[in-house]
Amino acid sequence: MSAGIVVESLSKTYRGGMVRALDHVSLTIAPGEVFGVIGPNGAGKTTLFGCLLGFLRPDSGTVTIDGQAVDDLSVRAVTGYLPERLVMDRWMRGREFLAYHHALARLPKADRARDVDAALARVGLEADAGGKPVRKYSRGMLQRLGLAQALLGHPRWLFLDEPASGVDPAGVVLFRRLLAELKGRGVTVLLNSHQLDQVERVCDRVAYVSKGRVEAIETVSAGAGAARVLRVRWAAGGTPHAREVLNAIAERAGAALESVGATEARFAVADDQAAARLLGALVAGGVPVIEASPEEGRLERLFLAGEGGPR
Amino acid sequence: MNEALILAMLRQRAASPVRLVLLAFLFGMPLLVAVGAPAIGLSVLGDGYGMILVLAAGMIGQDLSSGVLQLLFARPVTRSSYVLSRWIAVSLAGVALCTLQALFCALLLTLRSAQPEMRTLLLVIGDNVLLAFGLAAVMTLFSSLLGGFGDLAILLVVTITGKVLEAIAQFANSPIMGRIGTEIGIFVLPKIALAQVFGSADVPWFMLASYASTVTLCLAFAIVVMNRKELSYASSG
Repeated sequence: MSAGIVVESLSKTYRGGMVRALDHVSLTIAPGEVFGVIGPNGAGKTTLFGCLLGFLRPDSGTVTIDGQAVDDLSVRAVTGYLPERLVMDRWMRGREFLAYHHALARLPKADRARDVDAALARVGLEADAGGKPVRKYSRGMLQRLGLAQALLGHPRWLFLDEPASGVDPAGVVLFRRLLAELKGRGVTVLLNSHQLDQVERVCDRVAYVSKGRVEAIETVSAGAGAARVLRVRWAAGGTPHAREVLNAIAERAGAALESVGATEARFAVADDQAAARLLGALVAGGVPVIEASPEEGRLERLFLAGEGGPR
Repeated sequence: MNEALILAMLRQRAASPVRLVLLAFLFGMPLLVAVGAPAIGLSVLGDGYGMILVLAAGMIGQDLSSGVLQLLFARPVTRSSYVLSRWIAVSLAGVALCTLQALFCALLLTLRSAQPEMRTLLLVIGDNVLLAFGLAAVMTLFSSLLGGFGDLAILLVVTITGKVLEAIAQFANSPIMGRIGTEIGIFVLPKIALAQVFGSADVPWFMLASYASTVTLCLAFAIVVMNRKELSYASSG
């Protein structure tokens, strides 16, 4: 049974202790979990990644992956990493870059050509893109190539630092699909991203990091069961909907009316089922609903709360 | 040592147009002279210092500056393996170029009816093999200390320091200072004159030990330096 990633009281300072990047961070990431890390710039997220990957030496505290030291070669052999700023030898072609990392990962030479082709296809890079020098790649292509190298050799531990940065919408969808697939295969994923909606969609749990500390850890996989505010818009030009009528519909559906405008209203709903009941009741009550959306994500609220902004 | 790292290093060198131009110049120039003045013989080659330096410059420092090491060390690659692979790659490339140059030179001299002695040819090749491994070890250490081409700056400063000490020693009549200057010079240019080794009745143990210790210590220090290095683009968070 794997022990997962265990971080205990991790602290890291820079500039001779003048800048405290991590302050007694403790967390445990279970095997097979997709764990997100969010927080403002300079919060310590990248430093946390650096310590988890063994690039940085913590001042104090410990990190183990599957019970091993983070720089243990047996751990690294099953670790994939996509850095925030992907830097690679610009003279290489995409296929060469992947073949190089295939060799570094000690994967069988006999499988190299097949694995490289499969990796390119997996991230949606055309076969001829593999023959282009990486210096001619767009930002999105580089990010896809970086993801392809991180996925080489079926890693058990995957560290993704802003993976969807600079990627087009199709790439974002692909990335989300890949993460779902990896999760299905039991890969443990650590994801650092500023794209809160992405994090909320793919992660099981999310840590909010600020000023080097883990301020909160939110379970988001239970998103379907979470309370939220639903913003409902209806077609303009019809009969105005009185507050009392909307309130009565909401109460019958187990929701609560929060506010009403000319063509929209805000309802507090307990969960997805309640939201569905409310929308059904509104339509049945003659309200020509044209749009319904959660007012803000849970992570957005978490983030704003952490930043001291409006909840 | 890691085959993938060695091959990648060699290909990285071959992909740099500036290096290729410099190497072509340093490789071809003595050959042209040999054609024009065959009487000079194999001594026209000098040693392969220039070519080895062109191959070695920035051998680790460039990776430190560019940020490629993060991705590399996320793989099951030890830092000592990385350091030794860089050293071997530069040494082998240096040996190959110097040997090829010596062979070409011998061929050209033969065509110009100035056939060199086989013993001289072998000594030139042997000297350059030892110089390649020695100089590459020194540059490995210097390159691990500073990013980019900082190794060249360190080499320049250390070499000048040695020369200045030797000059001061002459003025001040200080044998100790002179010896320090000489040792610094030997350190930055570790080589063994094989003609001296094979030509003398006594084995020059000091020369051999000095060479071996310089190479070993440089590589050991480079590994220590790399093991202590933190890799991050996050300076404050």
